[in-house]
Amino acid sequence: MSGELKSIPSLSPAHEAWWREALRNPIFTAAVAFGLVLVLGLIFSGDGAFYKWGTHRDALRQASVYGILACGMTVVIITAGIDLSVGSVLALVAVSFSILSIHWGWSPWLAIPACLAVGTACGAVTGGIIARFAIQPFIVTLSMMVFARGMAKYVSGGMKVSTAVQGADGTYSYVDVPGIFRLIDSRLLGENLSVVSLIFLACVVVSWIGLSRLRWGRYVYAIGGNEAAARLSGVPVGVMKVAAYGLAGLFAAVAGICQAAQEQQGDPETGMAYELSAIAIVVIGGTNLMGGRGGIGLTLLGTLIIGYIEKILSINAVAEANRLMLTGAIIVAAVLIQRRRV
Amino acid sequence: MRTLLGTTIPIGMALTLCLTASCERKAQTQVFTIGMSQCNLGEPWRVQMNADVKTAADKRPNIKMVFKDAQNDTLKQRAHVEEFVSAGVDLIIISPKEAAPLTEPVAKAVQAGIPVIVLDRRVLGAKYTCFIGADNKLIGREAGKWIVKKLGGKGKVVELKGLMTSTPGQDRHTGFRAGIEGSEIEVIFEADMKWLEPDARKEMESALARYDQIDLVYAHNDPGAHGAYLAAKAAGREKDIMFVGIDALPHEGVMYAKQGILDATLQYPTGGAEAIDVALKILNGEEVPKEITLGSRIFTTENVEAGGESIGSGP
Repeated sequence: MSGELKSIPSLSPAHEAWWREALRNPIFTAAVAFGLVLVLGLIFSGDGAFYKWGTHRDALRQASVYGILACGMTVVIITAGIDLSVGSVLALVAVSFSILSIHWGWSPWLAIPACLAVGTACGAVTGGIIARFAIQPFIVTLSMMVFARGMAKYVSGGMKVSTAVQGADGTYSYVDVPGIFRLIDSRLLGENLSVVSLIFLACVVVSWIGLSRLRWGRYVYAIGGNEAAARLSGVPVGVMKVAAYGLAGLFAAVAGICQAAQEQQGDPETGMAYELSAIAIVVIGGTNLMGGRGGIGLTLLGTLIIGYIEKILSINAVAEANRLMLTGAIIVAAVLIQRRRV
Repeated sequence: MRTLLGTTIPIGMALTLCLTASCERKAQTQVFTIGMSQCNLGEPWRVQMNADVKTAADKRPNIKMVFKDAQNDTLKQRAHVEEFVSAGVDLIIISPKEAAPLTEPVAKAVQAGIPVIVLDRRVLGAKYTCFIGADNKLIGREAGKWIVKKLGGKGKVVELKGLMTSTPGQDRHTGFRAGIEGSEIEVIFEADMKWLEPDARKEMESALARYDQIDLVYAHNDPGAHGAYLAAKAAGREKDIMFVGIDALPHEGVMYAKQGILDATLQYPTGGAEAIDVALKILNGEEVPKEITLGSRIFTTENVEAGGESIGSGP
């Protein structure tokens, strides 16, 4: 590149080819979008709050629950499906986990597997119905969204399940927050990394191995790319769908446990509209809603983009109305940057 | 899958039938049937309101309650009122979701000779029998006054607001600002946490990152104050900050005050018990006032064991 400022520096052919190649790489464009969001943070730093590590640690913690949901959502979307039920399954698990741990005093060694099983079962049931009856995922997962929300309200009796335990005479006494709640909501590495962020990163790694290193992952991409062709080439499409939605349910359960630990209670109303955030994260990352293309690395970047947008708006105490408009505008801008050049 | 669905649906239907049947049972002579339409049982405070109504009604053998939940759907609630009228209940208690669309159904019920008690949120005009509600502005103002006193007239405060498009959010905000007027209390950070605990925690983390000195957090509800407390605790600063919330549900705000998490919480009374008192008076032909404004109580770390302290009571 020439150093002259008055003329537009022209790229050498080699550079141009490199740029064209890079812009075709979705990971690169997602990273550029994330970089631009970071620049926004550096400019609007909220009296310097953006320059403190704590802000970044908190941004990552806040995005983690959405990110965990987005991991499962990525797998489902690559199969050309969608899962609208994850927010409700999260609430069902948050409530169940609180009942088992706080009120019934179960050991986490029992409570966590039980809750993961509940979430996985919800996902597997939707996956099973989608595969067996060939109904559109949108409508089946919509039904599960409503059903699981109802279940969450049913098992909790419509009340938040907190450390206040109602006795037989109607009076309340309170118990301690279970150790497992405190553990999940604590920090590691000298207070520098939240445990929930670590759980999110673990989910990213697990999904990445599943999608990129196992035959399982190739099947997922094959179904999303062309389901009929995949079926003809011997991919067990039905089993794979149960597995994909089951995985989304499992991650929703993990997110539900994290949510309960961070709220110190199981709120049957929690996780409302979280599925939309998860879908937004996946799409902003650059995974194709039509299926067959995308990846978990993109979702990691999508999570960071959404998480940082939220954090930057929050430290600047932007009013709610402006916040919504800005979020919408920034998401569109991020997607435009991400637009795949043919 | 088929068998699972096949068993779930009949069980669900059977359950619904049992529930309906148990409500309609025991039709004795001289028993008043009261229909209660709740706009949304998703909120714990409204669950508490129903519980208060039920507790008060259960103490009176001559009252039979029929509860309906509109699930936050105005048209559903309108249908409730119409169903109560055609079922010929003796009195209707309604806690409306919105004023305008429910005004006419309520007026028609009154026209049909059924008294209607409107709880918490209003309908337009005056075609109802009695309105019972609390005053959010007053509660916000009392919170402001208490905070001024507690901080000795000056300090840095974070305000975590409820949904600012809702009347309670607006009133708890304007009331509070009126309460701290003239003092040297400075609101350094305010954000809309939409009544949600996770959102309150996020906003509080931002406030903590931005300001090294925060004296007090005023949240428009107790979950908001609790979320702020958790954020401060994670930052190791909970001891330097006071937390004030609103609502004071027995198992929520009051419990937080007992645990020392909240320094104060102001009750937003449901009026459930009062509604049954007024209903009985109406049914016995007594005169009742058109408007009843409920008083509030403040629960602080000091007085919570003694049952709180009454503030700004009565009209």
